[in-house]
Formats: sequence, C-alpha cells, structure tokens
Amino acid sequence: MTQKHEDPVLVSSRREAIIVFLIWVVACTYVLGFCYVFGYNRDPKTLTFVLGIPDWVFYGIVIPWTISTLLSFWVANFLIADDDLGEAQEETALIPTASKQEGTHG
Amino acid sequence: MVEWLLAQATPAIPDPPAAGIGAIVALVLFIVVSVWLGTVAQRVVERSQFIQGYFQGNRGLGAWTIALTATVQSGGTFMGFPSLVYTYGWGVALWICSYMVVPMTGFGLIAKRVAQISRRTGAVTMPDLFRARFGSPTAGLISSLLIIVFMSIMMIAQFKAGALVMKIAWPGSGTLALSEDGPTATPVPVEQASAASSETPPRNWQSWLAREKIYLIGLAVFSLTVVGYTLIGGFLAAVWTDLLQSVMMFLGVMLLFVLAMMAFGGFERASRQAIANVEQAALDQGKTPEQARQAASAFVSGNGQKPNGMPWLPVTMAFSFFCFWPFAGTASPAGVVRVMACKDTSVLRKSIFLLAIYNMGIYLPLIAICIAARAMMPDLGSKSDEVIPRMALTLTQSLPLGSWLSGLILAAPFGAIMATVSSYLLVIASGLVRDVYQRFVNPQVTDHEIRRLTYFVMAGIGIVAVGLNIDPVQHLQTLVVFSSGCAASAFLIPTVMMCYWRGATAAGTIAAMLAGASSAFGLNMIGLLIAYRTQTSFAAYALLGFDPIVWGLAMSLVTGIVVSLCTRPPEAALVSKLFDREEKAV
Repeated sequence: MTQKHEDPVLVSSRREAIIVFLIWVVACTYVLGFCYVFGYNRDPKTLTFVLGIPDWVFYGIVIPWTISTLLSFWVANFLIADDDLGEAQEETALIPTASKQEGTHG
Repeated sequence: MVEWLLAQATPAIPDPPAAGIGAIVALVLFIVVSVWLGTVAQRVVERSQFIQGYFQGNRGLGAWTIALTATVQSGGTFMGFPSLVYTYGWGVALWICSYMVVPMTGFGLIAKRVAQISRRTGAVTMPDLFRARFGSPTAGLISSLLIIVFMSIMMIAQFKAGALVMKIAWPGSGTLALSEDGPTATPVPVEQASAASSETPPRNWQSWLAREKIYLIGLAVFSLTVVGYTLIGGFLAAVWTDLLQSVMMFLGVMLLFVLAMMAFGGFERASRQAIANVEQAALDQGKTPEQARQAASAFVSGNGQKPNGMPWLPVTMAFSFFCFWPFAGTASPAGVVRVMACKDTSVLRKSIFLLAIYNMGIYLPLIAICIAARAMMPDLGSKSDEVIPRMALTLTQSLPLGSWLSGLILAAPFGAIMATVSSYLLVIASGLVRDVYQRFVNPQVTDHEIRRLTYFVMAGIGIVAVGLNIDPVQHLQTLVVFSSGCAASAFLIPTVMMCYWRGATAAGTIAAMLAGASSAFGLNMIGLLIAYRTQTSFAAYALLGFDPIVWGLAMSLVTGIVVSLCTRPPEAALVSKLFDREEKAV
C-alpha cells in the first residue's frame, strides 16, 4: 500500500519562491518609493552627502542594497532547504516518444 | 594629484594616454587561456556520453561557476552601463539597483525546481523541460524556435563588438571603446536603443578594405577563438571562460575604484566636482544659468534628463527596470541551462550569497568610478563609451606596470563578449541539434553522429556570423533591442507555470510564450514606426510609460492562466511524476 505525497522539493521550493518574491516586492516598493520622494528633481543646493554619496542614493539604494546582501546570506543559509534532487535519469526515460499522442490541446 | 588630473581634462576631449602594448598582450593572454580551458574541458567531455557532457558538463557545476555566470545577461549590458552613469549621473544607480535582489530571484524562484525536473526527466535543454513536463513535442519545438531566433540575433551582433575591441586594442588605433565611428553593436539595454548608428557603409571596396583591415583581422581572430574553444570544449569551456572574465572584471573594478578614490581624496569631493562640471559644461554650451542649474539637478536626481529635456528615467521606467534585471535574468535560456547543470542544492544556496557579494562589489564601485570620471574628465561628450578605458589609462599611467594593469582592464570587455557568444552559441547549437534534429528529424541518431553534427552546426553558425559582420547589417542594434526584450518576456511565466502549477497545460504554456514575445515585439514595432514617421532615433514604445517587458510579462501571465484554464489538463500520471512522491503508508 503506497500513498502519494506532494513532492517535498516542490513544497520547499514553492515556499522559498514565495518568500523571495515578497522580498522583491518589499525592495521594489521601498526603493522606488524612497527614491521617487527624495531623489526626483533634487536641487543640488539642498543635497547632503553621506559617506560622499548623495543622501537619497545612500538611504534609498546603498542601505537597501546592503540589507539585501545580508538577506541573501540568510536566504542562502537559513531559508533555502537542502534537498535531494534525485539521480539524473536517462534522457528519454519520461519523454513520450513521437508515437504517443499529445492529448493536451483542447 | 587631483589638481593635476583636473588640469589634464580640458573640454576639448584630450587624447588619453596611448593604450600601449599592454592591451594587446592582455588580449592575447585571454585568448590563450580560453583555448587552454577549451582543451581541458574537452578531456572531461571525452570521458562521458556526448550530449550530457558537451551540453551540460555532466551536471557537475560548483558554486563559483553557477554564481558568477548564470544570471549575468551579457557583456554588452555591462559595457553600456558606465557610459550611462557618466552621462546621466546618479539616476543610473536607481536604474541598475534591482541587481540587489538578482541573486535571490535568480536562484530562489525556480532554480531548485528546474534542477529537479531536469534530473527527473533527463532534460538537457530548456525546450526539453517544456516537452517533458507537458508531454508535448509542440511546446518543445516552439520554445526552441523562439530561442534559436532571438539568441541568434543577439549573438551575431556580439561578433561585431568582439572585432571592435580587438581593433581598439591594436597599438595606435586611436580609439578606446566601441564608439560612434565604427559600426557599433554592443547589445545595450533597452533604454539605450537610440544609439543605433545611421551612417552608410562605403561602397568603394578597395578603400573600404584598407580602412577596415584591422576590423577584419579582429573579426577573424575573435571568431576563430570563440568558435574554436566552444567547439572543442562545449558547455564547460563556455562556463569556465565566463568565470575567468567575471573574476578579471571584479579585480579590475576594485583596482580602479581604489585608484579613483585615492586620486580624489574621498568620494564627496569627486561627487561635488562632477556636479560643478555638469553645470559648467551646460554654461559652456551656451545654456542659460537656469538651464545649467537644471542640468546639474538632473545629474543628482533619480530621473535624469535626456538631451531633449525629457526625463531619462521616469518612475514608470524605474519600475520597469526593477522588473527587468531580476526577472529577465531568472529565465534566460542560457542561465536556465546552467542552473540545470548544478551539482546539488547546496551549490545553488552558496551561489546566492557569492553573487550577492559580487554584484554589490561591482555595481556600486562602478557607479563611483564613473561619477569620479565625470569629475576628472568633464566633457567626453560623444566619447562617453570610452569612460572606463580612459579612466584605466589615466589612473594607471603613473604606476609601475601601469600599461599591463590597464591592459587587463581593457581586455575585460573582450572576455565578456567571448563568454556571451560562447554560451549563446551552445544554446543555439543544442537547439538545432537536439531539439530540432534529434527530436524531429532523426530520433535514432547515434552519439557519434550527434557529435559530428554538433561540430558542423557550430562551425556553420560561426561562418554565417562572420559573413554577416564583414559588412555589418545596418540597424543590427535595433534588432538586438527587439530580441532581448522579446526573449525576456517569453520565458519567465511559462517556466514558473511549468515548475509550480499542476493545472498548467501545453497550450497554456505555448500561448504564454507567444503572448509575451509578441506583445514585446509589437511595442517595439510601434516604436520603430514612430521613429520612422518622426525621423527620430528608435526607442521601444513605452505604453503608459512602462517598458515593453512589463507588458510582455503581464500579457504572458494573463494568457497563460486563461488558456490553461480553458484547455484540457495534461495526463494526471505525467503531472504526478513531477509533483508527487510515492511513499509507503504508515
């Protein structure tokens, strides 16, 4: 008696993909939002510099970039699970031969 | 030192120090090492079955090779970027900054699943994946045709770029980068499409031959090298040379960054000087003080300013590029093949962090270098393409071994172009040989015949590419922009559907591919038509301000879902093989 489970690699990859996509959404919202508010049509006279970098670039791009790099460390070492990818199959193992019907076009 | 450097930089675009012998030696070194890597790779292929070894390196790639080669779009993207920073200023930081998430999206969205499916089905190419997942030869064929068409166009343009780098490095050639008077074909990002050259080629062939002699030699050397080592060593040769050039590029950028910051005694001085230079340059061009202030403001703003006064990066475009770099890289056919070839999941994990360090270490310093360049060389004008070589030559000339150092920096683009051509060449060859010939013409073909055919096809592609570049096609640049936009829109959604959605159907996937490609193509065509009607330079039509890739992805998503829901799902057994695992009940 066997039972079917959803493939664990599918489960973990899907979870990781959703989290990564959310990271993209957050990064996109923050960076574009911040840079649009503080970085568009800037007057050089009001511009201040942080570590030699214009303020809006520093807070809107350099800081989130640094955070993203740290997040990448977290994603690489803690979020993503190691999984067994399985043995590489012979190339024709699962591929229907030309004689088989496609059967997927409706 | 800074006063001296500033004094060197008069508005008249001074001649930079000569490239010297270092550049040509570095190029030769690159060529020799690449060919050597090709022969090493060949020995690995010899020990395995041909298709798996030659097109996939027996699924043995480690973290460094995956991280530094799988998501990098092309040498051209990288080469156009410094010139943009120099010209438009800090806004380019916003344009490029989605590279901060590229490591995560590139290896976190679909990589593990793609690697798994490719193993379970024995897939070697991207079309193999679609074919096996949906049990549909048609899905395989259509994806491979799309790949072959788009990648051929992008690759053929790179041959010209490679030949031009050779010409530049030639002692006494007088030019430093892929600039205006040669037929330029750096595949630049979508935004830069207007750079397409418009002059007519000379018709008197003798004077043409005399003038283009070095270009033709460069074309011959470049083509022989890149086709040669790729043909000998296959996938591993392409990946290893790619890794080599990525590492060289990183070292070069680090070196330039340190030298530039030393020259200015800190970055703020460079930034302020750059802003002052922009304002001064505008005044020198006879602009009013008000306009000059505006130009300076544009240089420090996110939106920038085009020569016609329009914003260079409206916020809709900034959004488009925040989609473009992360998602176009994730599903590019050359990148997906490399992910399929990873050794195991820990390689994919390590790649994320390695690439994160690499991207941060290369893009942020490059921005700083090019801002410093604007401070040091106020008005390169039309020669802004040469910003990196000029900085390299200027900053290293007082150093011992300066000529050699700058040589390596000048050679880096050559390596980048070789690596791109090499990987595209393989994808195209595998498309023709495996996805078309082996699948549809002769499924019973033997290992030995496949090998002979592969060599033959590759040599053939090389000859065609050389032929088309002897007297390069006008507006090739335009075609490149078309292709890269269409390719990026075509494959992301279908690949995600393939990985995660049980209900996705073959018809839905095919529709998603075609919808993505055709809507990007359509918007490019409208742009071309507008350019033709108004006699302006070509730029893709940005509907509501968004780049075609955004529309392409949206159309692809909607079409893929709707068509999948309306068509009969694939056989349950086929889906189950890739989505379920059978276990003994407890």
